Amino acid sequence: MNTPFFVNEPFTDFSVSSNRKLLRDALERLESTRSTAGLVAYPIINGQRRTTPNIFEREDPSTKDIQLGTIHFASRDDVDEAFSSIEEGRLGWQDTPISERASILNRAASIMQDRRHDLNALIIREVGKPWKEADADVAEAIDFCRYYAERAFHFASPIATSDIPGEENVLVYHPRGTAVVIAPWNFPFAIACGMTVAALVTGNGTILKPAEQSSLVGFALAELLLAAGVPPNAFAFLPGQGEDIGRALVEDKRVDLICFTGSRAVGQQIISSAATPYPEQRAIKRVIAELGGKNAIIVDEDADEDDAIRGILASAFGFAGQKCSACSRLIVVGKQYSRFIERLIEAAADLIVGPSAQPETVVGPVVDDDAYQRLNRTIEHARQECRVVVAARNGSEGYFIPPTIIVDPPLTSSWWSEELFGPVICTTSVATFDDALRLATDSPYALTGGVFSRNPRNLEAAKRHFAVGNLYLNRAITGALVARQPFGGSRMSGIGSKAGGPDYLLQFVEPRTITENTSRRGFVPEIASS
Amino acid sequence: MLSDPQSHLQRPDPATEYLPATIPSFEDKVTDLGKKILAGIRVERASILSKQYWSQRFMEWSTKTPSLKRNLFRLVDVLPSLESSDAISDHIAQYLGDEASTLPTWAAWGIRPPGSATKAIMASGVRLGVRQMAAQFIAGETPRAALGTLRSIRRSGFAFTVDLLGEYCVSEREAESYLKRYIECLTVLGSSVPKWRESRSLMQDNPGDSRAACVSVKLTALYSQVSSLNQKRSVTLLSDRLALLANEARQANAQIYVDAEDSANNEIIYKAFKRVFSSAEFRGDFLVGCVVQAYSRHAATLLTDLLSFSKERGCPIAIRLVKGAYWDHETTVARQNGWSSPLFSHKSSADANFERLSRFLIDNHERLFPAFGSHNVRSLSHACVYAESRGVPKSAFELQMLFGMADPIARAYRHHGHLVRLYVPLGPLLPGMGYLVRRLLENTSNESFLRHTFFDDHTTDALLTAPQFDPEDR
Repeated sequence: MNTPFFVNEPFTDFSVSSNRKLLRDALERLESTRSTAGLVAYPIINGQRRTTPNIFEREDPSTKDIQLGTIHFASRDDVDEAFSSIEEGRLGWQDTPISERASILNRAASIMQDRRHDLNALIIREVGKPWKEADADVAEAIDFCRYYAERAFHFASPIATSDIPGEENVLVYHPRGTAVVIAPWNFPFAIACGMTVAALVTGNGTILKPAEQSSLVGFALAELLLAAGVPPNAFAFLPGQGEDIGRALVEDKRVDLICFTGSRAVGQQIISSAATPYPEQRAIKRVIAELGGKNAIIVDEDADEDDAIRGILASAFGFAGQKCSACSRLIVVGKQYSRFIERLIEAAADLIVGPSAQPETVVGPVVDDDAYQRLNRTIEHARQECRVVVAARNGSEGYFIPPTIIVDPPLTSSWWSEELFGPVICTTSVATFDDALRLATDSPYALTGGVFSRNPRNLEAAKRHFAVGNLYLNRAITGALVARQPFGGSRMSGIGSKAGGPDYLLQFVEPRTITENTSRRGFVPEIASS
Repeated sequence: MLSDPQSHLQRPDPATEYLPATIPSFEDKVTDLGKKILAGIRVERASILSKQYWSQRFMEWSTKTPSLKRNLFRLVDVLPSLESSDAISDHIAQYLGDEASTLPTWAAWGIRPPGSATKAIMASGVRLGVRQMAAQFIAGETPRAALGTLRSIRRSGFAFTVDLLGEYCVSEREAESYLKRYIECLTVLGSSVPKWRESRSLMQDNPGDSRAACVSVKLTALYSQVSSLNQKRSVTLLSDRLALLANEARQANAQIYVDAEDSANNEIIYKAFKRVFSSAEFRGDFLVGCVVQAYSRHAATLLTDLLSFSKERGCPIAIRLVKGAYWDHETTVARQNGWSSPLFSHKSSADANFERLSRFLIDNHERLFPAFGSHNVRSLSHACVYAESRGVPKSAFELQMLFGMADPIARAYRHHGHLVRLYVPLGPLLPGMGYLVRRLLENTSNESFLRHTFFDDHTTDALLTAPQFDPEDR
């Protein structure tokens, strides 16, 4: 066994009662702040909070009548000022020694550890994540800080290429300039943090725009980074609507790099916008985009059924299926299909659906009214054409979609082929394992995939032909860990190399070579001294 | 010091504490008893080897090379889920293809090199082999089917406790069907066992054998959403369901043990146990049992807590003291998550802790009826000798062993005048396979007492040496 060179931040062990109490207390503290002072997020430019007239009220998706917090959305002027501030600050930041930039990330990680449960609580309330998954979100952010802090040193010193007498060649990595980070709400802390600190540690001035549904978590991250020592004019935080502030950020002439995680539609818009030069644009904008998935799990004839059921439940319904890595297609080999599906349906129906702040919740709410309406429409529509099993609704007031299984949809239907981003899974059966592999990979996406099998030949075939970014054998397909399972896909699932992997930071720097003629009037040091 | 039975649980350094040092020639007596037991069982070895052909072959092969062991276990694990002969012979070829030539004999598995054998013969041979291995450890598919075996266990002079094997419980319908299986099991035992003449007490004044029927309950099978984050509901529902079983047990005149499981769920299990058996309805139920795992760092605290529970309740409970069966699983979970394991990190520490807790149980036998669950002759002899030296009679405790694992050891202790109870699993072969694999793993592990005793010819002295806490575990 290889000794791991990177040790992941442990998840909180909630089987220990004192740990449960820590999070319960944090949730109470948060609720008391919310109901008294209120939770507020602002744009931050040059280290200063801005109040704006564009107010967005974020509701708690678990109890939609409760206003969770008030967000001051940035204006177009704020965007302009943020860029001006960064233009000034980024040159100083790029000259800051790598040791100092890295230690700021490590400091950020330590603050996250100290504030672990307060951050957990905020994630639980703002996006409706259940306890364990919120905790994993913060752990991943800590991992990103530590991992990228370490990796950045690989790009810090000049690399000698090949020298010949009288000539010295080196390759050095420079920051790209100014990075715009557009973050998703589903890993509101981890992904926002990972993209931001990757841009920062490699010396780029960085502007972070959180998803509007997770602006409070984004604001907590921004303040934390500044507290850790990121210079105020190297970093700005601009909450706002994607169509408004997101677009303004992407289109600005002062952008060198756009780092985006989100939907395929928006990702493609960003890529084409970035390819269109605007007047006075100074660079071809580099885009890193992590998009969706329509991920399949194959259950082979000889699979361990208990393991498969548990793996599928976790992959399909964890955080209500709102992960790009989630399982949304299930392909069962052989005649066990109907028995297996019935067992799965019963198991899914008994998962505990409820408010995310309750520790026992396994399936929380979906993120907002839009998602709720969209998923309900999809499920209604599917019902008209095929068998759809929906677990009982709970009586709560939030945006709850219970675990839903669409049995045998037409393989040409949108349910089978398009990302639904909710607790909805389609199932189908095939005769052979080869059929299963063909069907699994017949998708525009290639993000994650899984196989439950005890047949060595089939496992080997999956390793060769199940072409996805992250393939998991005999386990759940979500929950990739930094350094251990670098994360990201290909095809329509994104462009760019894997987050939490060894070459991720390479995308945030540009290589330059420097060649120096070292001979002077025939005096060549290497020749003279030999 | 001896007058305060709890004192040796609270000492700061368990490794330097060795209470029996105050008893003259204590270690010699343990060794003497151990030698007598071992002398008896080694004679039996030849007959065991011939009777348990398949599992003996399996154990011999699996100790040859690590990769062969891995492949054999994986093969046994997958076999029951395979329906066709083609699938079976294909898996055999895949798992053992490269290794097959190193096996002592092809014929043993009904295998000839692929191509020359008819698949059907090969498949049925292997299926038969696995069934035979399973039948050695699993008494039957249903309680009714197992009655014959249970009766013959009594006839041979052993008590039994029945355990139900099954799939992992993922839904409430499955939880309900488990509950029904337990109720059915209690009903079947209740309506037949008391009528057997074999059910008359094996040891007159031993409270452990006051009822012949006994069932061990895996509590987490009774609720599909057991989790420490769902603790309130888990404890409530499991208490309700355990109460139903306690009621059935009363009707059936059966004893109940609530099994311990993995550390993450044990808190819930003990809470449910205590809630039910301190309730007005069940607080008077005699000798209801639970299990304490000596490999847990918290075992001593737990036992102290259970002693107070028994006192408050005013009616004794039974404690099955075991080393613990989830070590690999829990150690892996802890490592994968970067947590410190709740278990001792060395087997020797679990052995040493077992002895320390054995003494605590003997000293408190009137409130905590001791049932020492182990196949380790050293561990058991230590408990027996300690009881004797404290003037505690053999009728004040019992020994427990797994059915089919160590019959000669069980017989030897019975001959020596102890009440021995066999833990007898029942259930269909497919879900029973996990149990079989665990038993085989146990028998082939490098640290297995049984393997050392029956296969590796460790010297008697080596087998009977007093265990010490590993420095890492102090």
